Amino acid sequence: MTTAQPPAEFQTSASREAGPLQVLTDARHLAVRAIRESVRQPGVEITNVFIPLFFLAVSTGAIANFSERGFGVENYLAFQLPVAVLQAVAGSSAASGIAIVLDMERGYFDKLLLTPASRWSLIIGRVWADAVRAIFFASIMLIAALVAGSGMATGVPGAILILVIAGLFGGAYSGIGIFIAMRTGNAQAAQAGFLLFFPLLFMAPAFAPLAVFDDWLRWIATVNPVTYIMEGMRGLVMEGYAWPVTEGGQIVFGPDGLPLTKDPPALHWAFVSLAGFSAFTLTIAALALRARTRAD
Amino acid sequence: MSVRPPSVAERLLDQIAEPAPQHVRDADLAIEAFGLVKHFGEIHAVNGVDLRVKPGQVFGFLGQNGSGKTTTVRMLTTLLRPTAGDARVAGFNVLSEDRQIRRAIGVALQEAGLDILQTGRELLRLQSRLYNVPRVEIEDRIAHLLDVVDLTEDADRRIGGYSGGMQRRLDLASALVHSPSIIFLDEPTTGLDPISRQNLWDYIQRLNREDGVTFFLTTQYLEEADQLCDEIAILDAGEIVQQGTPDQLKATVSADVIYVQVEGDERAQQRAVSALLPLPNVEDANWDFNEGITVYSKSGHDTLPRVVRTLDDEDLPFSNLRLARATLDDVFFKATGHRIEPDGQGGQAAPTTGGGAA
Repeated sequence: MTTAQPPAEFQTSASREAGPLQVLTDARHLAVRAIRESVRQPGVEITNVFIPLFFLAVSTGAIANFSERGFGVENYLAFQLPVAVLQAVAGSSAASGIAIVLDMERGYFDKLLLTPASRWSLIIGRVWADAVRAIFFASIMLIAALVAGSGMATGVPGAILILVIAGLFGGAYSGIGIFIAMRTGNAQAAQAGFLLFFPLLFMAPAFAPLAVFDDWLRWIATVNPVTYIMEGMRGLVMEGYAWPVTEGGQIVFGPDGLPLTKDPPALHWAFVSLAGFSAFTLTIAALALRARTRAD
Repeated sequence: MSVRPPSVAERLLDQIAEPAPQHVRDADLAIEAFGLVKHFGEIHAVNGVDLRVKPGQVFGFLGQNGSGKTTTVRMLTTLLRPTAGDARVAGFNVLSEDRQIRRAIGVALQEAGLDILQTGRELLRLQSRLYNVPRVEIEDRIAHLLDVVDLTEDADRRIGGYSGGMQRRLDLASALVHSPSIIFLDEPTTGLDPISRQNLWDYIQRLNREDGVTFFLTTQYLEEADQLCDEIAILDAGEIVQQGTPDQLKATVSADVIYVQVEGDERAQQRAVSALLPLPNVEDANWDFNEGITVYSKSGHDTLPRVVRTLDDEDLPFSNLRLARATLDDVFFKATGHRIEPDGQGGQAAPTTGGGAA
């Protein structure tokens, strides 16, 4: 089916018919604009560096001397590194919601809606920019922790994999900010997008391994996607690659229903969790955008 | 692309649904609307607007704040879905062909919608790319537009540092990056100084005259509507109450208008109106608490002395007697029952995308 052209007298001299990949092209232009927005507000972004580094320093300072005796973690700085990465990424991505609300308040969101760019490019552009920003902030956490002596069991490839996970988590988490912004149009509500991260963080093995959790909390942690994303990164920092055990080409499952791995925790579960988490957040973001732009 | 065949339920619904109203459509019209309605809950912002705007016309929507101007523009520019009715812009349906419409039109809304962290040039560049303007043309086009809106020197400064007038001019430039054939301007000169306003009027007239661009503009300024528009629709409480060319509209009131303040209570005012109505050449006379008595006459110079004599005969003291040529203000007053008050707080602004009231 071809897209209808305006009648000859209404055709614009410059505006061309869009191709099938136009949504990605538009998203890229919007992502560049969103990244430029961050670069021009360093004061706003500084908290995304300062708060996770502060928590990394104080939690390591408070618990590192006890962690080996308490729950068998020798290098607590390395244990905490994924927490700092995820905290920085969530803080940075939640800011997208606030940026969208500001666009709405200033009328710029309407201006974007008035262009022929696909509505979806508005979301994809933000997600794209948040993924890039996430990689940037994760790099800072990684460098700071490495300088402080965390070490990296999987070397440079592992560090790159951590940045990939951070980027995917950043893109997925921006769906929450976009959802809140679209549903409420309220900056305070969008700000709360970051606060939602704290339950996800504290109900995961952020400060101690799952083994020392009470049963009820361990149960919650096992259904929390952040647990698997965090443990996937932690394995790369502290232990090495963990691949599922296979027999005759089939993945072997353990008694808990989870795949057995050669060297848990398993990296692949981090990616499965990321896929599920991003499918959920980006779907609710897309539905919220659709509801807002089709308002009756 | 394959088209999904309708389900059994959809076919049944089609059969029992009332047939859509059949309108005679003129494919050559730039903008047409049939019974356009927009309700926000209990608030009826637009109540059945019909429009027929020809290509190359400058069409003006004149009305106070809250009269439904902005809501109508938001429906025609695909930002709001109508509650009822139908509209076509550039030959495309606002409900089913919204993307094609957005490609054909340029829009500058009431509030300059800008990103204050970008520079003027960056904003125009992004806008050009989203309109898919050919890459080789973008920089030349931006330079031309910056020159037109007199922002060349400030193009590389961040928009946050621009004055209100500069932001409005940039907003207008951003609506023109893709050389649209139809341009919607929602109160384009509100907040502009007189020189910027005159420059903008000149530019609108030039684009209209030289490039045949169709303009649909809303305004609260009578002078603006009078000077720019080929056709004007007066909107009040969401309905068009009067429509025509400026001359046609002025002809609906008499050639001259006499204003006079009569002392006394409401009964005295009614007595004065009753005494003035039968005078020769008088077509209408009415009293308003704020305005006093307004007498519409085919010949003001003949009527004026008769007004004086009549009020004297009726023993009604009066003051502030004056004679004026009929203006759009008088047309507006006669059509709506109140004077237009630019920048007044008489109504509510239309909502931004997604809800609220207008």
